[in-house]
Amino acid sequence: MSDAPLVFTPRPADPPPPSTIGVVGWMRANLFSSLPNAILTFLGGYIFYVVVTTIIDWALVKAVWEAENRRQCLDLVGRSGACWPGVVEWIPNLIYGLYPKDQVWRINIGFLILLAWAVPLWLPRVKSKVAIGLSLVLLYPLLASYFFHGGAQGVVWTALIALGGAAFLWVWLTTLAEMRFGLGFGALVARLAGAADDERARRIGWGALAALYVLALLVVSQLRFVEVPTRVWGGLFLTLVISGIGIAFSLPAGVLLALGRRSQMPLIRVFCVTFIELFRSVPLITILFMFNTMLPLFLPAGVEVNRLLRAIVAVCLFASAYMAEIVRGGLQAIPKGQYEAAAAMGLGFWQSTSLIILPQALRIMIPSIVGNFIGLFKDTTLVSIIGLFDLLSMSRAVGEDTRWLGLFIEPFFFITMIYFVFCFLMSQYSLNLERRLGEGQRR
Amino acid sequence: MSQLTGSPSSVIRRPATPPMRLGAFVNDATVRSVFYQAVTFVCVVGLIWYLVSNTITNMAQRGMSAGFDFLDVSAGFNIAFTLIPYREGDSYFRVFQVGIANTLLVAVIGAVFASILGLVMGLARLSTNWLIRTLARWYIEILRNTPLLLQIIAWYFGVFNLLPLPRASIDLGGVMYLNNRGAYFPAPVAQEGFALTLLALVAAVAGAVVLHIWAKRRLRDTGRAFPSGLAGAALILLLPLLVFLASGAPLAWDWPALRGFNFRGGFSVPPAFCALIVALSIYTSCFIAEIVRAGIQSVSHGQTEAARALGVKPSRTMRFIILPQAMRVIIPPLISQYLNLTKNSSLAIAIGFPDLVSVWMNTSLNQSGRAIPIVAMTMGFYCAVSLGVSFVLNLYNRRILLRER
Repeated sequence: MSDAPLVFTPRPADPPPPSTIGVVGWMRANLFSSLPNAILTFLGGYIFYVVVTTIIDWALVKAVWEAENRRQCLDLVGRSGACWPGVVEWIPNLIYGLYPKDQVWRINIGFLILLAWAVPLWLPRVKSKVAIGLSLVLLYPLLASYFFHGGAQGVVWTALIALGGAAFLWVWLTTLAEMRFGLGFGALVARLAGAADDERARRIGWGALAALYVLALLVVSQLRFVEVPTRVWGGLFLTLVISGIGIAFSLPAGVLLALGRRSQMPLIRVFCVTFIELFRSVPLITILFMFNTMLPLFLPAGVEVNRLLRAIVAVCLFASAYMAEIVRGGLQAIPKGQYEAAAAMGLGFWQSTSLIILPQALRIMIPSIVGNFIGLFKDTTLVSIIGLFDLLSMSRAVGEDTRWLGLFIEPFFFITMIYFVFCFLMSQYSLNLERRLGEGQRR
Repeated sequence: MSQLTGSPSSVIRRPATPPMRLGAFVNDATVRSVFYQAVTFVCVVGLIWYLVSNTITNMAQRGMSAGFDFLDVSAGFNIAFTLIPYREGDSYFRVFQVGIANTLLVAVIGAVFASILGLVMGLARLSTNWLIRTLARWYIEILRNTPLLLQIIAWYFGVFNLLPLPRASIDLGGVMYLNNRGAYFPAPVAQEGFALTLLALVAAVAGAVVLHIWAKRRLRDTGRAFPSGLAGAALILLLPLLVFLASGAPLAWDWPALRGFNFRGGFSVPPAFCALIVALSIYTSCFIAEIVRAGIQSVSHGQTEAARALGVKPSRTMRFIILPQAMRVIIPPLISQYLNLTKNSSLAIAIGFPDLVSVWMNTSLNQSGRAIPIVAMTMGFYCAVSLGVSFVLNLYNRRILLRER
C-alpha cells in the first residue's frame, strides 16, 4: 500500500443522450413527441408545403412580368401564373388614386412632414413629448389640408394653416434645442438673448413663437397650391386620410365620452350611454349609409357636404363610440385609492383626471387602443361601398380597365400585402410597447 | 387623535345658518352639477331640434314623407335568394322580413362554422407541436390583419365566381354540386308520417337533457360518473332513426339535377352566400381562436397539477376542471364575436347577397325614398339584436359571478 493520499477525482459527467440535444433533440421534443404528434407534423408540413409552393408558383415562378394587356398574359400562362404588369402599371393609382400626376409630390411632402413631426416622439432626450404629440393630433391636420386640398383660402383658414406650419417649425426647433442643450426652444432663445429674469425670459420665449408664426404666415399666404377636389382623392392615400382623421378624432372624443359615461351626473351619463350603445350596436355600413343619404337632409338647405366628409363624419363617430368603451375599461382598472388620493390632495376633477388617472389608464389601454386603430384601418375599406375610391375600390378598378379586364386576384393579392404589412407592424409595435411599459409593473 | 374623538366638546359645530355667499353658491358641487347638466341638455336638445327642423324643411321641399304607410305598398322587385317565401308583388314589409331572415341565416351558419374552426385553431395555437403551433399562429395573424371586406370580395371574385359553368359542375360525392351559379344540395321533402320522427327527435333531446341533469346530480352526490354525453348523443341519434325506419322512412329527397343550362330542384344558395359564409367564418375564427387560447391559458397551471395530484384522468381534468373555469373567460368575448359576425354580415351588400342592409337600406330605400323610416327600422333591428344579446350576457355574467367566493 502506498502512502499517497486517496484523492477523489469525479468522473466527468456523461454527455446527454444524443437524442435529446441539438436539432434531433429539438425535433423529438417539439415535432415527434408522440405518434399523434408525428402524424400532425407530417400533415401540417404537407399543408404548409402545398400552400406555400402553390403561392410561390403562381406569384413568382409562373408569373408574367411584361405584357401589354391581360390577353397576352393569358396566352402565355393562362390562369396558372400571376399577371403582374397590370398591377405594376396601376401602382401609382393604387397609392394616389386619381390625384393629378403633377401634384402628387404634395402628398409625399405632406406625409414626410407627418413622419418628421412624429420622429421626435421616439428621440430619447426630447422632453416636450406631450406637447409634440398634442400638436401632432390637433395642428397637423390643418397643415395636411393645406398640402392635400390646396386652393384659395380665406383669412381665417390661412391663419389656422399658419398655426400648423408654426407648430411644425417649433417642434423641430425645440427638438434640436433639447437634444443639443437640454432646453426648449423658447428658453434657449431667451438664454441666448441674455434674459435677466424669468418674466423677461418668458416674454422673449413667446416673442420667438410669435416670430415663428409670422414667418409661417408669410410663407403660407405667399405659397398657394392648385385646388385638388376630394372627388379625385383615392387609393392608399385616401385610406390613410380617413383612418388618420378617425384615429385623431376618436381618441379625445372617446376619452370625453368615457368620462361622461362614468360621470355622477345622470343626464350626461344617459346621453353618453345612448350615443355609445347606439353606435356600437349597428354595423358601420349602416352608419355610412345613413350619413350618406341623410346628412344632406340634416343640414340647412344649400349646405353642400361632399361625400368624403360624410364618410369621415360617420367613421369618426363610430370610432369614438368604440374608443369610449376601451377608455372606460382603462378607467375602471385604476384603483379607487388613486381617485381618493387625488381628491385628498385637493385636485379638482379635471386636474385629477388629466394628471393622475388618465396617464395611468392610457398605459393600460395601449394594446386595446392600437387594436382599435387596426380595426379602424381595416374598416375604412367600407367606404368603397358608398362610392369612395379607397385602396380596395382602386384595386377593383384594375379589373375593370379595358386592357386588364377581369384582373382581380393579382391586385387583391397586392393590396392584401399592403394591409397586412400595416396592420401587422402596428400590432407588433403595440406588443413591444406593452412589454416595455409593463417593465416597471412586472414582479 | 384619541383626544379629539369621543369628547363632545371637541366636535366641530357648523354655524347654524351659513351665510349664503356667491362664491359658496358657485362652488357648490350640486349647483355646478345641475348647471352642467342643464347646459348639456340645452346643447343636445338644441342640436337635435336643429337637425330635426332642418330635416322637416328639407323633406317638405323635396316632397318626401316620413310615414310608415309605404310598408303595405308592393315593392315590385325580385330578390335573388330568400329563405322565407317571397314573390315579386309582395309588400315592403315582406322585404324587411326577408332581409332579416337572410341576415339571421348568415349569422347562424357563420357562427357555427366560425366556432368550430376557431376552437380547432385555438387548440392548435396551444399545441405542443411546434409546427402546428406556428402554422396556427400565422393563419391567425394573416387573416385577422387583412380587412374582412377584402376577404369577402376576394372569395367572391377570386373563387366562387370563377367556378365552372353548370354543365361542368364540381361534383362533391354526387350529393352536392358547385358551379358559378351557386351550390346545390338535395332538399328533404317530408312525406306523410314524418311528424312522428320529429316528435321522436324532440323527445330524445328532452331525454338527453334529463339524463345529463341526472348524471350530474349523481356525480355530485355519489362521485360515480355516467357517460351522459355519449348516452345522450346515442339517444338523440338512435331514437328518431328507429322511429323513422319503423314508420317506413317517410322522407323523400329532392335531388338537384342538370336540366338545360342549369340545375333544377334541391336547395340552392348563390355564390355570394358561399363567399360570405366562408369569409365570415374564417375571419371570425381567428378572433375566436385567440379567445379560446386566452381562456385556456387563464386557468392557472396549478389547477392541472392539482388535478393530477388527486389522480384525476387527463381527459376529465380538461372537462371538469379546466373547461368550466375557462368558459367563464371565453363566453363573454365569444358572444361579442357572434354579434360582430352578425354586424359584419352586412358587408354582403358588396357582393350582392340580399341581406337586410342590401335589400332594405339600399334597394328599398332607393326605390321608395323613405330614408327616415327605413334607416330607423334597420338600426332598430341591429340595436334590438345587440341589446337583447347583451342583456342575456349580463344575466349569464351575474350567474357565474355568484358562484365565485
